[in-house]
Amino acid sequence: MGKKNQKKKLKLKKLKNKKKKAKAASSAPPPPSPPPPPPWLELPREVTADILQRLGIFDILESAQNVCTTWRNVCKDPSMWRVIDMKNLGRYHLFSYLDTRCRLAVDRSEGQLTEIYIDYFATDELLQYISERSSQLRCLRLGGCSEVSGDGLSEAAKGFPLLEELHFVFVKNCNEGIEAIGRSCPKLRSFTLSESGYKHPQLLCDADALAIAKSMPGLHRLQLLGNNMTNEGLQAILDGCPLLELLDIRKCLNVDLSGELGKRITQKIKDFKRPDDSMEDCEWDPEIFDCDEYDEDYYRSSEISEFSLDNYYDYDDYLHYSGSDYDSDGGVDPYFYFD
Amino acid sequence: MSSSTELTEKKVFLLKSLDGVIFEVEESVAVQLEVIRELIEGDCARPFISLYNVTSEILALVIEYCKHHAETCSGGTSATIADEDLKTFDNEFMNVDENILLELCSAADYLDIKSLFELTCRTLASLIKDRTIIEVRKMFNVENDFSVVEEKAVRKEFAWAFK
Repeated sequence: MGKKNQKKKLKLKKLKNKKKKAKAASSAPPPPSPPPPPPWLELPREVTADILQRLGIFDILESAQNVCTTWRNVCKDPSMWRVIDMKNLGRYHLFSYLDTRCRLAVDRSEGQLTEIYIDYFATDELLQYISERSSQLRCLRLGGCSEVSGDGLSEAAKGFPLLEELHFVFVKNCNEGIEAIGRSCPKLRSFTLSESGYKHPQLLCDADALAIAKSMPGLHRLQLLGNNMTNEGLQAILDGCPLLELLDIRKCLNVDLSGELGKRITQKIKDFKRPDDSMEDCEWDPEIFDCDEYDEDYYRSSEISEFSLDNYYDYDDYLHYSGSDYDSDGGVDPYFYFD
Repeated sequence: MSSSTELTEKKVFLLKSLDGVIFEVEESVAVQLEVIRELIEGDCARPFISLYNVTSEILALVIEYCKHHAETCSGGTSATIADEDLKTFDNEFMNVDENILLELCSAADYLDIKSLFELTCRTLASLIKDRTIIEVRKMFNVENDFSVVEEKAVRKEFAWAFK
């Protein structure tokens, strides 16, 4: 043991003049001459791709691909565009501009797109565009979108037969599309529907829960946040989705878990989050949208698709934020500005 | 005991850089270089392993990185403290000029050290992010090899990125 410890403490030594031993090296082909000092272009292409991919869609399209022809070629490779992340961009650009860039990215993916995240600017037309070109899509997340319809979502879903994950965070009208989406996407394993129904607990509505129970039997994970469902809806979900491992119904204030139903869930579901559990770690917290009468006005506004989220800064007076409204990496949570 | 001596001996490996410098490393460091793992496990690593694509300057850094990671992970501290320690070390370790960073990235790729590769890629990406095209070219000494026509088109479309 003493020897081992001693060895561990040994500083690394540079041992020179071992040329004789080199002859005996079993693993040694002859060394080539030293390469020139490696500027970026000496890096293997796939390494450059790996690095540039981390930049995000705008830095790639507007900066990286215009640096030199090598980078441009790398940036045109479809494998660079399997994941399109357009979260958090609303505050920098007009929605129409984001739409164009998103389409360009989808074109570049040449059918290899597997994951896409869109905040705010999704429309039925854009979803249709993606749907017609992305039959490999596995994960779709829409956040804070007010310009999509249930029909639009249902239509688009027909082009995503392999979809496994679907997340709707404050997507207006998405409820109407749930059942049709479920039917078009039989591989769906994870579904999120985050709303602010808890603000109006007097409204009882099991439509979403029944649609999920009816059309998404393969779900392993279900997050239904701030939904107005009652015990009846919850019961239907338990019956309709027998594979559920995670069930998150935080802020679903019309459910009563004191009786048999509560027991049944605890027995059946491995990971269960109750209506009054903390939202602290919740990526999809509906409260961050906290829709008061102001946001109803915003949503009805015909200007909504025309101005960037920058404009939301003008409405600071209406924001009531706390520390939890900031991303863990220190960035500002975009949903926040939808208040 | 001879068997224990043999066991202790096995713990040390010699790595030879492109420019002929030989480094002595412990097994816990050597196994992090996935590219030579088979040689080590198959006991074919004697007397030393030649790493043709890595200069001594870079190999010394790579070894420093692997050594620190090996020691921290086996040090018996709690996972959270070890994580914090590694984070601090990684941040300081990445505080080198761009060319060294590129060489480290290239070496991590060649030697197949996943965590170092990830770290260098992330750092390089963060250097490019939010920089103009001109700044990026200058920083990494990348030549503008677009034709005049192409360059004109690019400048027109992405005028802001050249400022």
